[in-house]
Amino acid sequence: MPDSTTLPSFIPTERTRVRRVHERGRYDRETVFAILDAAMMCHIGYVIDGQPYVTPTLFWREGEKLYWHGSSASRMLRSQTAGIPVCLTVTHVDGLVVARSGFHHSLNYRAVMAFGTAAKVEDPAEKEIGLNAFVDRVYPGRTGLIRGINGQELKATTLLGMTIEEASAKVRVGGPVDDDEDYSADCWAGVIPITPLIGAAIPDPRLKSGIPAEPEVGHFVEGAPFDQVLLALARKAAE
Amino acid sequence: MSDTLPPFTPTPRTRLRRHPERAHYDRETVFAILDSALMCNIGYVIDGLPYVTPTLFWRDGEKLYWHGSSASRMLRTQASGIPVCVTVSHADGLILGRCAFRHSLNYRAVMAFGTAAIVDDPTEKEAGFNAFIERLYPGRTRIMRAILPQEIKATTLMGMTIEDASGKIRSGGPLDLEQDYAAHCWAGTVPIRQVLDAPIPDPIVPPHTPAETEIGHLAQGAALDQVLLTLARKAAE
Repeated sequence: MPDSTTLPSFIPTERTRVRRVHERGRYDRETVFAILDAAMMCHIGYVIDGQPYVTPTLFWREGEKLYWHGSSASRMLRSQTAGIPVCLTVTHVDGLVVARSGFHHSLNYRAVMAFGTAAKVEDPAEKEIGLNAFVDRVYPGRTGLIRGINGQELKATTLLGMTIEEASAKVRVGGPVDDDEDYSADCWAGVIPITPLIGAAIPDPRLKSGIPAEPEVGHFVEGAPFDQVLLALARKAAE
Repeated sequence: MSDTLPPFTPTPRTRLRRHPERAHYDRETVFAILDSALMCNIGYVIDGLPYVTPTLFWRDGEKLYWHGSSASRMLRTQASGIPVCVTVSHADGLILGRCAFRHSLNYRAVMAFGTAAIVDDPTEKEAGFNAFIERLYPGRTRIMRAILPQEIKATTLMGMTIEDASGKIRSGGPLDLEQDYAAHCWAGTVPIRQVLDAPIPDPIVPPHTPAETEIGHLAQGAALDQVLLTLARKAAE
């Protein structure tokens, strides 16, 4: 895998240059990719007849491309197959920042806005490889345990891809930054971290006899932070 | 109370075509999904191109509010009264089915449509900001100094009346094909939830400040969505 520090940064454009609190803006691929790879869901913005739509959906990254999928009957996917511009946004909420004035209350977060043109992956073989890669990325080895995707499932599923044309990240970390004269305020101030935690796995009631109650997806350990697990899985998949 | 409120009427932009059984148009469900969230994703159009900006938001009755710097491109664009789509989603769990096709995600999501409008009146703005602080941190505006006029000026408050909205929910375990139940693999749900961690005091917090009375409702280990929903319901009382 290429050392990501050797990858060039995204070039800030009219669409992606972070204007507000610009010191929070990041354009290097390492940061942008790490924020994308730590997420499973994104929000895809697209325009139909001048009206904006934002649809939450699962996605994954492979190199410079982002993929998402869904039912071939879905309005979102049907409209996007025509090759329309989309904005794919990912956000992680990391903590509440409690300050000494209302104005300085904030949120710690990591976010990416990525722009590109959605295109349908038409080739059935490429589609199948893409969908299997997604399953194996989240659940390594799982496609070896389950039957292959059949013809009608492949047909019923649309796979969309987008090359990242422009992207920027915005990250806020750390505690409150208050006005000097407010530090004497008699109130608590600090950060309340927020973490997406993996809970105890719930086996399906019809689990086949002989299958252990714990999933073979041993990496989804109860109490592990979901974003960190996803990032580790993405890095393993890219090896 | 919310159970007497009429449901949203499905429109061409909100009627769920895929998995209509996952659709919810009643205000109670839509509002609960919104109120359980801190952040939304706002979709808007500039020169025909879509933008999706994540931002904090809150609901007050039929209106959604968000705010930010008066210099922000997003807010300046929206100030002219443009159509927006406000989307909120909660990822609740990974669904491991017995074939790739039946893998899924448990989630709760809302898409709400309306026209963004700037709130100009400084008094209404100040009341809105204070209500947002009070909602997350009840009693907090009384222990801090008031918002300064230049802070009110530097902050834009946007509001949108929900014109139409729909909720979409998937819950429960995998639904496999009958012939796949014989597959020799684990199947089930791996829950995910956003949890509050131990508060990290600012280094300059006065030692006598009782954190418990101020942020005790944001207890370590509590589920963020549940805490937010409870706070929203308390604020609406």
